Amino acid sequence: MNPIILIVILAFLAGTAITIARVRGVFVAAMLTGIYSLLSASWMLALDAPDVAFTEAAVGAGISTVLMLSALALTTNREKRPDRIAVIPLMVVLMTGSVLIYVTLDMPLMGDPNAPAQVHIAPEYIDGAHDYHIPNIVTMVLGSYRGYDTMGETAVVFTAGLGVIMILGGARRVMSWQERQQKRREEGELVLEEVYPLPDADEVDPEGEVHPIDDDGGGAT
Amino acid sequence: MVVDVLSWILLLTGGTFSVIGGIGLMRMPGFYSRVHASGITDTLGAGSILLGLMLQAGLTTVTIKLVFILAFLFITSPTSAHALVNGAMTNGLKPKTQVQEGEE
Amino acid sequence: MSHLLIPRVITKILLPFIMLYALYVQFHGDYSPGGGFQAGVIFAAAIILYAMIFKVVEAERVIKPGVARALMAVGLLIYLGVGFLTMFLGGNFLDYDVLTHDPSHSQHYGLLAIEFGVGVAVAAVMITIFYSFVDPLRD
Repeated sequence: MNPIILIVILAFLAGTAITIARVRGVFVAAMLTGIYSLLSASWMLALDAPDVAFTEAAVGAGISTVLMLSALALTTNREKRPDRIAVIPLMVVLMTGSVLIYVTLDMPLMGDPNAPAQVHIAPEYIDGAHDYHIPNIVTMVLGSYRGYDTMGETAVVFTAGLGVIMILGGARRVMSWQERQQKRREEGELVLEEVYPLPDADEVDPEGEVHPIDDDGGGAT
Repeated sequence: MVVDVLSWILLLTGGTFSVIGGIGLMRMPGFYSRVHASGITDTLGAGSILLGLMLQAGLTTVTIKLVFILAFLFITSPTSAHALVNGAMTNGLKPKTQVQEGEE
Repeated sequence: MSHLLIPRVITKILLPFIMLYALYVQFHGDYSPGGGFQAGVIFAAAIILYAMIFKVVEAERVIKPGVARALMAVGLLIYLGVGFLTMFLGGNFLDYDVLTHDPSHSQHYGLLAIEFGVGVAVAAVMITIFYSFVDPLRD
């Protein structure tokens, strides 16, 4: 693969990431994360990793954008403007980034045939896939050699679903929809406050105020 | 040879239409005309590129897959453009009918 | 709701193909890129598309929220069940070789089974998360 294509895609990725960090409209940021996922999917495809690219395109650009938009329907569409630059998080991010870059200096080059992964593990996987007649080595590694890891991943996905149910969907069992609607009307606020106590009125900046959502029957549109 | 030339003509046409669509997306005034410009990229640009690739591939399974992609694209991209414009219209965005002063 | 007419018609045409593609990705994972994770997400995307273009209530008639929640656990249990089945048949945990007499076939069957579990779990989790997010917006 031509390295110029990779560099161009990586430059686009960096530009998108910076734009996401700088833009204030949350809807714009959500759409940009979808674009970021699509770009990284094409980057992974350029690196000959179609399985990962497939996952990234389906999960990142497809589902998570939709989920992010439906989550945004629960909150405001403007990000609160920070009053000052947060120094300590910036330092932490910079230090972590420089440590990561420093560590990559010790790593083997991309596609290096003498890299430890290519010398010891990869030949065994390739032989195994050949012996068992499974053309897609990724599936073979994922299911056979790394079956426990994949089981852990499935458990992680399951736990993520459980977490969302506990935070957002748990109210459904104890309170019927009419009751909750009634409660929402009385307080004029969102259901989210069951989880997050809303800040006092003087702490909220005027633009970042939480507005009740208009009920226009169309699902999540 | 003829097939090669034909496919390259189609590929270049598709590329040109994509660039035109991109320029239109940046330069057109107003939301609706921008969607119209991006529609060029979706249908003519991508369609010509896929046709060119089909000629390059010959009669293989790749061509059949490309035919499916083309059919899918021809159904979905006008629909998505329609949904976009429809959403803007129902939310009350008025089409820009004349160029405002101070803009190009 | 006449302004949703065209998306609804197109969605009706496309949904079977999306689901068919999800099944292809699910069961063809041994031979081409794909597998349970991707297939589950594509299947969930079909349901979510249906819920967005039609009403969420309509989608909940197809897959009830309780069913989706149960399937989350069922998917993980299928995976674990394959592991325990291989132990029961005398092998190690997730050692597919004992499933049939031919090791190659065993690997294929084992992979298909665990990928199916992964696919069910992922699809159910995605649908459940979507239902949870749109639940407070219900009219």
